[in-house]
Amino acid sequence: MTVPPPRTALLQGTLDLLILKALNLGALHGLGVSRRVEAITRGTFLVKPGSLFPALHRMEEAGWLVASWGSSENNRRARYYKLTAAGRRQFESEVSQWERIAMAISLALQAN
Amino acid sequence: MSLFKNLFARSRVERDLDQELRAYVELLVEEKVKQGMAPDDARRAARVEAGALEHIKDEVRDVRRGAVMESTWQDVRYGMRLLRRSPGFATLAVITIGLGIGANSAIFSVINGVVRKPLAYPASDRLMFITSQFPTLNFSKFWISPPEYFEFKEHTRTFSEVAAYTTGAMNLSEGERPERVNAAFITANMFDVLGVKPVRGQAFTTQQDLPNADPVVVISHELWQGSLGGDPNIVGRLLQIQGQASTVVGVMPPGFDLHDARAHLWMPLGLDPALRTNRGSHFLYLVGRMAPGSSAEGASAELAGMLRQWREWAVTGHAPNDSTHRLQMAPLQDEVVGNVKRALWVLQGAVLLVLLIACANVANLLLARAESRHREFAVRTALGAGRTRILRQFMVEGTVLSVLGAALGLGLAYWGLKYLLALNPDSIPRATEITLDPVVLAFTVGVALTTGLVFGLAPLLHLGEQAVTQSIRDGSARTTATVSRNRVRRGLVIGEIALAVMLVIGAGLLIRTFRNLTTVDAGFASEGRITFGVVLPQATYNEPGRRSQFITGLVSRLQEIPGVERASGMTGLPPLRQVNANDTDFEGYQPKEGDPPANVDYYQTATVGYFETMGIRMRDGRGFEPTDVTGSPVVVINEALAKRFYKDQNPIGRRLRVDGGPTNSPWFTIVGIARDVKQGGLENPAGTELYFVFEQGAQVGFVPNQMNLVVQTSRPVTSLMPAIRSTVTAMDPTLPIVQMRTMDDVVGDSLVRQRFLTQLLGIFAGVALLLAAIGTYGILAYMVSERQREIGIRMALGAGTSQVVQMVLRQGVMIAGIGIVVGIAGALALARFITTLLYGVSPFDPVTFLTVSTVIAVVAVFACLVPMRRATRVDPLTSIRAD
Repeated sequence: MTVPPPRTALLQGTLDLLILKALNLGALHGLGVSRRVEAITRGTFLVKPGSLFPALHRMEEAGWLVASWGSSENNRRARYYKLTAAGRRQFESEVSQWERIAMAISLALQAN
Repeated sequence: MSLFKNLFARSRVERDLDQELRAYVELLVEEKVKQGMAPDDARRAARVEAGALEHIKDEVRDVRRGAVMESTWQDVRYGMRLLRRSPGFATLAVITIGLGIGANSAIFSVINGVVRKPLAYPASDRLMFITSQFPTLNFSKFWISPPEYFEFKEHTRTFSEVAAYTTGAMNLSEGERPERVNAAFITANMFDVLGVKPVRGQAFTTQQDLPNADPVVVISHELWQGSLGGDPNIVGRLLQIQGQASTVVGVMPPGFDLHDARAHLWMPLGLDPALRTNRGSHFLYLVGRMAPGSSAEGASAELAGMLRQWREWAVTGHAPNDSTHRLQMAPLQDEVVGNVKRALWVLQGAVLLVLLIACANVANLLLARAESRHREFAVRTALGAGRTRILRQFMVEGTVLSVLGAALGLGLAYWGLKYLLALNPDSIPRATEITLDPVVLAFTVGVALTTGLVFGLAPLLHLGEQAVTQSIRDGSARTTATVSRNRVRRGLVIGEIALAVMLVIGAGLLIRTFRNLTTVDAGFASEGRITFGVVLPQATYNEPGRRSQFITGLVSRLQEIPGVERASGMTGLPPLRQVNANDTDFEGYQPKEGDPPANVDYYQTATVGYFETMGIRMRDGRGFEPTDVTGSPVVVINEALAKRFYKDQNPIGRRLRVDGGPTNSPWFTIVGIARDVKQGGLENPAGTELYFVFEQGAQVGFVPNQMNLVVQTSRPVTSLMPAIRSTVTAMDPTLPIVQMRTMDDVVGDSLVRQRFLTQLLGIFAGVALLLAAIGTYGILAYMVSERQREIGIRMALGAGTSQVVQMVLRQGVMIAGIGIVVGIAGALALARFITTLLYGVSPFDPVTFLTVSTVIAVVAVFACLVPMRRATRVDPLTSIRAD
């Protein structure tokens, strides 16, 4: 057993970005999204179902995601989410926005 | 889309969500088992990790509902806030739309109730109305005689049942005051044909419908609940009808009627099926229910076949045939609605034009606003609002306006219709069926949404992408409106004026028609005259002598009332009465091929002094004189009759008699020719008419039991009414006085439908004119404010007031001029729809066209005045410096 890495609270607005990033790599079901976010952030962020599902449904409603029923590796029925074209565009614009913010913040912190 | 999914497929969405969360937990368990946990522990751990599932579901539901509702609601709130911020604009827009939608809902509710709704009988589309036609006599819709009815009933295969009826009115002596009640006399099978059963008691039996059966009556629900006080033991009760005790056997359901007869008493016709004589006595209307499987075409074909062979069934020569005595059928509904249909569609067309004008106005207002909101939208686009989002906001704003307008419009429609129908009772058939029912509400909502979308989209006409970037680039500098943008606005106003011109011309033509009808020479004087009717019941006035005595007594007593100058009695009340079409034997007249048949449209039996009392002038010879009372039988003819039967001869001194088959009347000598009196409606040419002397009735064997009395006075007419009433009551307290009215009202009432149509179209045309004026004003005011700088510069360069005025006026005149020309072209194109509604005026009447054009031009110039003044007040310094 390894010691779990410190968990960080999600910054407002970053959840969407992380979910979009996770799905940009391929369609996933709810738990899959949660696990992939965990993996790509090296365990920094753990997405709880209480925030995961509302976010997924909100993004579906916004037209960024589409959902369909499929079966998991063990033949279990699960609802899979996939990025739409609009979702991809949204992802790109959020990425560039995030980069601007991140750069601005780090510049700010480095300033004397 | 997803809003619909959420609203209408809620259970599926719920099931999906439930399954999704359950799958999540299962996957979690699986994962933990794979990591080496015992299944039970894994399940417990998964539960804990997943948290409260119901809570998650709630959150998801909130998110789902919120997404759509929120952005729409945001738009609505934003729209409302904007409207609140410019209350003047909002009020103007809502009133404009309200007028447009109100007019449409009002007329549509009339069409819905009168034309569209099927008659209130089961399978009413299977009911046909059967009448006769006499082409050579110019009767396009006439009655059918009893033998013809029985023969038709026996031989038809396409109808499962045929019933006959006629209408009239009866004296009902119940309660404290005797009253005159509309009645329908029907064959026993009528209720079966219509498919309606009494709600209490029974319909008539065939036995009760035989001649000389004990008198029975079925009454209307309204009579039962009204004059009869809702008597619970009504069935079996005896009513005094026309002085005769009749047993109530049934009560019809509320609202039950037949062909707008407004009948409250339903009585058996009492025809004798065995009696096949008197074939010329046409007085029945027929209603048939088509047999299952037969079609209207089949029925018409059968009828044509019957007409060819009818002569074999007839005992005498008189039989329906396809040259002079046809039968025809039409769906009962068409028959009831009749010619009001065209008028209603004309009105619906008119209100549609009003709505279009209203829409154009509001679109123009929104355009002007969109221009001033240019920067707002540019900023919002730059901040990331999508084009669809901005578009949606326009539509939501438009819809908010039109929904508010629709609410106002429904109110206007409801109260307006109520008021107008109260002013014009009897102006349209089936008036009681006019309501704001769900169909009308759906119509209104549909119109509101459509208009909302239409003018919500109007601002998009010029809000292209480049417009957005441009106005940002321009910064605060005022952009001059592009040429194309102005063309749209001007086009809208020109369209408005054109539509208004069309409407006002239509209204003008109808107003002229109405004027023509009210000033048409009816052949008699109506001013200062009062009339009422009396019907002498068979029971007490069986003796012709008693009837004659009563009427002459009444006339002389009426003449004794102070203030009364003359009084007389007559059988038929002009200017709108039912045709008699009596066969008449003109001595020496033998109709050859092509000659008119010896038949007279109207018989009038009047007391001595009648022509003087009614102000009917004589063209030749004399009227009735006191010496005629005991003298030999005389008759007066009218000009139309003289022209038809005595072409180049002098009719005075010639003789004629009533053609009564075996029992001819004595010969009457023609003593005078009276000027024509309109009897078949003011819009129709006068028919042929014969005047008989009432006082000679006993001598010639005909004393009518039903008379109209007319009283002439120089005093205010209404002041005499109480005295007249008490005179009648003093002579016979059981006698109801039928419809005491001024003769002016009688003439007015005969025009009630035309008046209603004219009033409505007049109102709509007025609204259209007002809206078009507002539109013209709006665009000119806008133009002036937009060109303020230009005007300022011109003035600074030395342009005088008159040049500025000219500039504005030129714009106004151009817009109005084009609008008028287009409108006239439109009016010419639409003229044929209104032709049948006109009287004495051509649909291309130059006077109307010229007057309307002038009025519109004057209104347009007035609309220019305020902007013009504002333009001359432009201060060159401030306007150049502005911005």
